Amino acid sequence: MTFDRKIEDAGLTRGVSRLTPQRIEDTLRQVLEGETGAKLKLYAETCMRCGMCSEACHYYMSHDGDPSYSPAGKVHQTMGEILRKDCKVTPEFVYQMAQIAYTECNLCRRCVHYCPLGIDTGYIMSTVRRMCHKLGVTPQYIQDTAHSHAATMNQMWLKDDEWMDTLQWQEDEARDEMPNLRIPLDKEGAEIYYSVIAPEPKFRTQLIYQAAFIMNEAGVDFTMPTSPGWDNSDMCMFSGDFEMMGRLKKIHFESALDLKVKKIVMGECGHAFRSIYDQGNRWDGWDMYPIEVVHSVEFFWELFEAGKIKLREKFHEPITIHDPCNIIRGRGLMEQSRKLAHALCDNVVEMHPNLEHNYCCAAGGGVINCGPPFKNVRMKGNRIKAEQLKATGVKTILAPCHNCHGGLEDLVHYYELGMDIKFFGDLIYDLMEKPEVE
Amino acid sequence: MNSIYAFVVGPLAWIAWGVFIFGSLYKVVSMYQLAKAKDGSSLHYMSFKYGMRSILHWLNPVGTLGWQSNPYTALVTFVFHLCLVIVPLFLMGHVVLWDQFFGITWPTLPDTIADIMSIVFVACCVYFGLRRFLQRDVRFLTTGKDWIALAIPALTFLFGVLAYHQIGNDKVMLVLHILCGEIMLISIPFSRLSHMLFGFFTRAYMGSEFGGVRHSKDW
Amino acid sequence: MLKRVFTIAAVAACVFLYMIPAFCQDEISFLKDPAFVHPTRPAAVFAHDEHNEKAGIEDCAACHHVWEDGKLVEGESSEDEKCSSCHQIKPESGKTGLRNAYHKLCSNCHIEEDKGPVTCAGCHPNGGAAPSGH
Repeated sequence: MTFDRKIEDAGLTRGVSRLTPQRIEDTLRQVLEGETGAKLKLYAETCMRCGMCSEACHYYMSHDGDPSYSPAGKVHQTMGEILRKDCKVTPEFVYQMAQIAYTECNLCRRCVHYCPLGIDTGYIMSTVRRMCHKLGVTPQYIQDTAHSHAATMNQMWLKDDEWMDTLQWQEDEARDEMPNLRIPLDKEGAEIYYSVIAPEPKFRTQLIYQAAFIMNEAGVDFTMPTSPGWDNSDMCMFSGDFEMMGRLKKIHFESALDLKVKKIVMGECGHAFRSIYDQGNRWDGWDMYPIEVVHSVEFFWELFEAGKIKLREKFHEPITIHDPCNIIRGRGLMEQSRKLAHALCDNVVEMHPNLEHNYCCAAGGGVINCGPPFKNVRMKGNRIKAEQLKATGVKTILAPCHNCHGGLEDLVHYYELGMDIKFFGDLIYDLMEKPEVE
Repeated sequence: MNSIYAFVVGPLAWIAWGVFIFGSLYKVVSMYQLAKAKDGSSLHYMSFKYGMRSILHWLNPVGTLGWQSNPYTALVTFVFHLCLVIVPLFLMGHVVLWDQFFGITWPTLPDTIADIMSIVFVACCVYFGLRRFLQRDVRFLTTGKDWIALAIPALTFLFGVLAYHQIGNDKVMLVLHILCGEIMLISIPFSRLSHMLFGFFTRAYMGSEFGGVRHSKDW
Repeated sequence: MLKRVFTIAAVAACVFLYMIPAFCQDEISFLKDPAFVHPTRPAAVFAHDEHNEKAGIEDCAACHHVWEDGKLVEGESSEDEKCSSCHQIKPESGKTGLRNAYHKLCSNCHIEEDKGPVTCAGCHPNGGAAPSGH
């Protein structure tokens, strides 16, 4: 097995340079014996190597059937090798397994639909990442976000005053359009706690603006928190720093509980939903979550159904809709997202395959967060998505997830598809009835 | 030769069945203990309803994305497993032995049908073998363990067919057939073949997560 | 060892096959029991006189036994009766059925003596006697 696609990354290189064979063995064994159990054992033992999962993976499909990109192929080269060699692997191997686990698998779980035995490749790759994290071999960019989480409890090194300032700035901006608009901060007992991921205040502030506008117009009793915990994002879940993942979810839920709100509504993000709903909550020992969390797609649809959002006009151009793994395969919001899309648009063109079977954006699972060194991994590794998008023949894509947004944007540029990508929030804000301003 | 035959249908059969039954029990119980100790955050979400939902969908050879994308392999997999379960249980030659040793009998398959099913089974094994060898992604994944998992049932059925058709020495073929069958029993708890014990659980777990937590389908 | 067994068996089989036509009609050459209405296998090849000569069986009761109250009756034999007159196709519980009676009688002895066929095909070869009852 030769690995001929090594990519230089400062984090991986530095991490590997500090490894000794003994440390590798001890750490891997500690993770295997201390943190994994029957699940991993059974997956390793009962995978019949049938290769049926190959076609599930966008990387495999985009690399003309290169077997080293198939889901089982990636497990074979990482966890499989560790188990076969009984944890006695070289630092060079650790580099390779880190590169595969962090950048060549989006943990999208599309392969679940292909495996007769129900083997969760995403779980295995997460466990490999966990090992890499414990070995200190993580890509530099994603580790930077994890450091930010640890230092500031948000992903983007935002200082507390910068966050509050951004909210007030957006409130100020929006008042040009709606003079009475408010973004209530830390309002105790509000109906809804609106939470976003830190990239929103950092470089997608219009999303906060739009959400505030929509909620004000719909008369929603909401608040946004100013203290740490406001950021629901979680790169630590993807870097393998599960202790930090637990701290992040805990502080997030606690900040909502402190404000005695009824429920949390989160922006159009996928991975944060996974962290709250599927992984982070479990680390903290919660069955689901201590306070209900509603994704924007669901929330917007509720507002629509209740007649709280009125449209000036519908979106007339044909538009296609992308299904983000974490809210579709991870939460089953395909029905709501379709209803919402059809409520907003005249002509929704489905891409194929769609719903649970949709191809991944190749950005999620922390892959886009591994930064520029690995951008081409995502681009070359997701030709299939570009082809799928192109085949719809439309010029606009709806993608209710930040990672998907970023990933699709890159793909659209790389493959020169000339398509526009929108959040539901973008569309609603554009199309809704707005009050006249003198 | 008769004494070898007597040995493989006698003491060795007891050993094989003993290892199979107690080994399987041990494996299942110890896995459950391990899951309770280490996988609480998964075990907690096990749901009978969604587990069954998933199992039933996957029992439909055209009911899942995986089967649909691999129609030939799906077909061969289903035929393979049906033959693997039905022929040994309902073959007259086997029921005769149960009758002879324990005085219990049950309805049997006509020999011709059992014969056809066994030959089809061997053909399925050939398909799997060729696939392992020729299909790039499968070959990439294949290890010695996978060949063993394929060879054991393949040889068992092959020798069975040869013995039935009286190709080669009947005693040698039958003894080899029984030996391979016993190796298969013994290896079920300790090899890839353990998916016989655990496959439905891993499937049900995935079904529970996707049905109960993620509200989406896993097929 | 296997090779030698194989060779011997092959030679024996040839000789045996060669001899089949030599058996005359009135001699028993197959165990065709009409009690089996729908036999699934060809009747077992069994040349009565030759078998007993080769096996050195002189006591008829070795096979044609008599049981009473679950005990073998010494000194009595039953060669004038059909096996099926005691061994029923569907036996009462605790009694030996007809199929088992044949199988056990033959194979137990063959195993004990380490001689003669024990496999399915060993007694019921393809192209053996046509199933009885037809």
